[in-house]
Amino acid sequence: MTPLDIVVCVKNVPFTQDVDLVVDASGRDVRKDNLVYVVNEWDNYAVEEAVRLKEENGGTVTAVTVGGEDDEEVLRRCLAMGADEAVRIEPGNLRPDGFVTAALLAAAIAPLQHDLVLSGVQSDDLNQGVVGGLLAERLGLPHASVVDSLTVGDTGADLRIELEGGQEEVCRVPLPALLSIQTGINEPRYVSIMGIRKAAKKEIRVIEAGSLGLAPAELEPALIVEGLYLPPEAEGAAMLQGDPAALAEQIVRIMREKGVCNA
Amino acid sequence: MPIERIHFWGVGAVPLFYVLAALSIVAFAVGVYLRVSVWLSARGSHKLRIGPAGVAKLLADGLFGRRIFQGDFTAGVMHLLIMWGFAGLFVGTVLSTVDHWIVHYLTGQTYRVFSLCMEVFGLMLAAGLLLALVRRYVVRVRRLDNQPRDLWILVLLAAAVVTGFFVEATRLAVEVPRLAGEAPAWESSSFGGLGLSHLLSSAGEAEAIYPYLWWLHAVICLGLVGYFPFSKLFHAIAAPVNIVVAGPAARPAQAAGGLPESDETGTEEDEVAAAPRFAFADMLAFSACTRCGRCEQVCPSASAGEPFSPRDFIVQADSYVRAAGASRAYAGARAKLLRRGSAAADLALGAAPAAAPRPSPEQIWYCTTCRACLEVCPVYVGAYQPIGRVRVAEIEDGSRVAPLLVTALETLYRFGNPWEPSKRKRGEWPAGLDVPDLTAGAEAGLCYWVGCTTSFDTRAQKLARAFVRILQYAGVPFGTLGQKETCCGDIARRVGEFGLFEEGVEKTSGLLEKYGVTDLVTSSPHCFNLIKNEYPPANGPLASSALASGAPAQSGAPAQGGAPAAGDGDGESRSPLRVRHYTQVLEQLAAEGKLSATPDGRSMPQSSPRVVTFHDPCYLGRYNGIYEAPRAVIRSLEGARLVEMPRSRADSLCCGGGGGRLWQELEGEKKLGEVRVREAAATGADTVVTACPYCLIMLEDAVKTADLEGTLRVMDLNELVAESLGLVPEEE
Amino acid sequence: MPEILVVAEHREGELREVTLQMLGKAAELCASHGLELCSVIIGDDVRKQAGELAAYCDRVIAYSDPRLAHFSAREHASILAGLLGERTPLLTLMGHSPWSLDLAPALAAKTGFPLATDCVDLLIEEGRPKAVRQIYSGKLFCRVAMKQAAGYLVTVRAGSFAAAVPSARQAEITWAPVPPAPALPLDREFVAYEDAGSGEVDICQADLLVSVGRGIGDEENIEPARQLAALMGGVLSCSRPVVDKKWLPKYHQVGTSGKTVRPRVYLALGISGAFQHVAGMSGSDTIIAVNRDKKAPIFRVADYGVVADALAVITALKARLSAERAS
Repeated sequence: MTPLDIVVCVKNVPFTQDVDLVVDASGRDVRKDNLVYVVNEWDNYAVEEAVRLKEENGGTVTAVTVGGEDDEEVLRRCLAMGADEAVRIEPGNLRPDGFVTAALLAAAIAPLQHDLVLSGVQSDDLNQGVVGGLLAERLGLPHASVVDSLTVGDTGADLRIELEGGQEEVCRVPLPALLSIQTGINEPRYVSIMGIRKAAKKEIRVIEAGSLGLAPAELEPALIVEGLYLPPEAEGAAMLQGDPAALAEQIVRIMREKGVCNA
Repeated sequence: MPIERIHFWGVGAVPLFYVLAALSIVAFAVGVYLRVSVWLSARGSHKLRIGPAGVAKLLADGLFGRRIFQGDFTAGVMHLLIMWGFAGLFVGTVLSTVDHWIVHYLTGQTYRVFSLCMEVFGLMLAAGLLLALVRRYVVRVRRLDNQPRDLWILVLLAAAVVTGFFVEATRLAVEVPRLAGEAPAWESSSFGGLGLSHLLSSAGEAEAIYPYLWWLHAVICLGLVGYFPFSKLFHAIAAPVNIVVAGPAARPAQAAGGLPESDETGTEEDEVAAAPRFAFADMLAFSACTRCGRCEQVCPSASAGEPFSPRDFIVQADSYVRAAGASRAYAGARAKLLRRGSAAADLALGAAPAAAPRPSPEQIWYCTTCRACLEVCPVYVGAYQPIGRVRVAEIEDGSRVAPLLVTALETLYRFGNPWEPSKRKRGEWPAGLDVPDLTAGAEAGLCYWVGCTTSFDTRAQKLARAFVRILQYAGVPFGTLGQKETCCGDIARRVGEFGLFEEGVEKTSGLLEKYGVTDLVTSSPHCFNLIKNEYPPANGPLASSALASGAPAQSGAPAQGGAPAAGDGDGESRSPLRVRHYTQVLEQLAAEGKLSATPDGRSMPQSSPRVVTFHDPCYLGRYNGIYEAPRAVIRSLEGARLVEMPRSRADSLCCGGGGGRLWQELEGEKKLGEVRVREAAATGADTVVTACPYCLIMLEDAVKTADLEGTLRVMDLNELVAESLGLVPEEE
Repeated sequence: MPEILVVAEHREGELREVTLQMLGKAAELCASHGLELCSVIIGDDVRKQAGELAAYCDRVIAYSDPRLAHFSAREHASILAGLLGERTPLLTLMGHSPWSLDLAPALAAKTGFPLATDCVDLLIEEGRPKAVRQIYSGKLFCRVAMKQAAGYLVTVRAGSFAAAVPSARQAEITWAPVPPAPALPLDREFVAYEDAGSGEVDICQADLLVSVGRGIGDEENIEPARQLAALMGGVLSCSRPVVDKKWLPKYHQVGTSGKTVRPRVYLALGISGAFQHVAGMSGSDTIIAVNRDKKAPIFRVADYGVVADALAVITALKARLSAERAS
């Protein structure tokens, strides 16, 4: 069992599960002032996986994010989960999209010792899924996405990729490699408040985006948002009304009309 | 012949006796030292606060074993016989030693009295031991899990007593004939031995076997002394200490346990990561436990067949801390020896002691923190307290926490309640009722603290609506904190998320201060208990050190901080904030006659009279001594006739909703509530009334799964009152 | 002539649905903007697929080699990068899939072209492609333009467009020489495909599916749902979060990474309707959705909607059906 130096990329994203989103005045972004921020769900699984690998094999885990000072909370959470180091890339005036993020991450990670780089498949906000692949290309690492099972041996990583229709692709990747982690690969541990407070005392290394030596063209976003709009209301569904008993009555009737749930 | 105690009669090699005695005393001292060093290895303060309340309990429970009698009279008798018999004989031996070495006073009448007393004590001990053996091995009392060590101790003690009597008998068999066949008047006080002596055929035989018997008796007794601290008998030392320390804490209105020390930041010295950090009081408790099993009998979880037993937890925890102590001692000794070369260390110490297993998940997440265990334990051990500390360690570790609980705690952290990822939805329960919002400028004396469960759970919301209707009907000005209300922190506290609890305290205290709340009334006994008993004083510092020293969790003396000084169950707190549970408000309104008439002047409700039984919520009853208020309210209602369940008031059987159980995925958890509702139905009642949102939810679920729908109705006290006043509209 | 290039997705000898859908949309764009439509297929022994493609576009370029039998993002990216360099198409379309999650970013990095993923609509304005994507798990639509570049890449969500209509003509198929394998980076080694299996229950065969999602609340609520399914004569299924939480085994999962189902009636209980799930059940004849959130995306695809707590509805349905059985 050789120790692994693992780098995990994480993102602080708004929590929107049961929240009504409102488009802001510019029409190009969402109003975020009343949103709670949390770690991106996919990245959380990636951090848990990284920490487990470290616990099994020895080594270190470094968490990296691109974000402002408020986003340090996501790094503290990683530290509380068991990461050893945390790095924040301060974007300054940049508004990074997936491409710029990948460029910044690559520049920051390249000088670090890394046997394995993990990221989440995609982020809860923009749902793009490009950072992992772009980062792998820039770092010159083999890449696999949608990894839902991972074991690291001496010859490399044995993994399974989740395909459609319940199929999986079983494969092997030599290290160092970059893997994009799918939800459900593990059960992320609980991070206690005490743990986060203790982690607050650890130092977070901050790197200014401008100091990474990237060309201006690399810091331009690839996608330009022209407008956001809410999807059309549910014109399709006929809404049923009443208390649960009345609803049950109606549902059973509809089903029987369609030929199922027969008496 | 002089009337006196003859020492070492008929025995030679007396110095050997003293050598053996010295060895046994050394063994005793070592044993006590090892045990006490485990106690002292606990974190935090080791102060023993001995107050008058503690001494009172010591007399009642220590000296007379009061609680042992409860529910099992024979047990009380048996223990009293053994304890006093043993103590008496022990004192007798001491007095005898004094007589031998210091001043020879056991003569004449003194000796006769002494002799008689010894006889009586000996017979008491013998009778007690006989009772004990019969209870364990003939009657086979169920709650006693007989282990070899239980038998050993009884056998050893019995052997000591029996050999003691036979020694005396043998001596008398020799002496009495020598004194012309008539028992000298003064020997008649040794009636036991005298009686036995008639069994022996000849004086010569007796004289021959006497030394052997004497040495046998001596070895057994000295062996007992040496073995004492390594055996169950150690409870004779540990239990009184625990009674003095923990006894007063068992009174209502003293807090639950699980409070870590203020130095929780310094964990690096734990050789095992996130090991449970037991406090001094916990260590005492482990030593005091005698595995009598009363806790298991009353534990709602154990008696519903769940894989949990408070006794097993205490036993396991005891092994764990003693093994940890041994490991530490071993490591320490090894370190010292290593400085002189590792070969020597290995030779001297042999193998490392095996580490005891950590308490398993079954041991810690099933506990509802209902305190039934503490209520019946004869030595005041409350398993829920050290369980709380293991929970703190597990939460800090994080990898063995049930995913549902993880979600609940994360939701609690982000949205101020464990139910919904939304702060806004907290304000939905009024559903059309006009509820004044103190944060929006309304002014009122009484602040109604609705609570998370009552705000978000659709069933429990009805409780709040009923209460609001009652307050409006009775003309009591009140308000709530609307959507700004946040979680008081009880759930976090019970599951061991101490950091989140502190945040809850901070936010809640800040809120109460900001809106100048002085009179707080809660829906839930949990919120009530927490804010009243475990919050720091309203105008005091809010640092964790204040919480650690202020809360009464780990010692017996009345707490500094928010806990009341002396009042039990009357809800009066010392700080400017008055905290009450809604039953107390209803009681007051009923006493003032404000709940006795319906709006249109009729005093009888239209519905047929109900037969009602009241389910005492754990945090209202056992924790805070409030039993009468809800009953007074029920009795004040014309339509309700109150019957009591067998397990009521302090014996109330927990519904299973506390201790964070709502967010665990536990095996067989439905059964706990079912046991209770069946008990309620068996009283002949058609309605079971409770005064806690958890109880309401749990019992209502249980009624469904126990197929009692239609037979037994579950109502909150507010709903009962509101209904009898005709305040509840049709659609509810 | 400027063209749009469609990268054909195929598996086990068949063109996938998304390929035909991309060709359909591409054809529309080509017609309105005067562009040529070209498709490319990479694999081993793709003669049949190439022949099929020829009915939908103006030109087919095929790369065939035994070493390309299993999908390799590295190989595909290398080949396509070369092709894009040669042909400089205005817009290159790929299907959004686990494979393209590897391929598309790699291709973007190699070519330097911008990439928009999981697009649900495409347009060309002022000579540049623009795309519409969903963000925040389907709660919002976002229209994006791409930064100026020599070419543009998009991945397309399956089911966003209608499939192309085959034309009578057959396009010319060019069998391009396969470039040597790239040395770096080291590739992953394919071992096998494995099926999650249908398990004890094959949800694909059921006429009625009672499907539970995160909104069911608690693992203990799975059992009542299971009982309801039994009472109704249907089968229990679920969405992804339920499987992630290990409340049900994977073979119950409906969605892109689970099974695609087409029952007569699909009863969705506490399912939000994220795209990945909807893609697996939108073919159902009748969809009845129950969710507490009236803005849940599922109501967009459902035929009947109920804004209520899933558990309450389950309880009421069970009561209704049990009472019926009893009488």
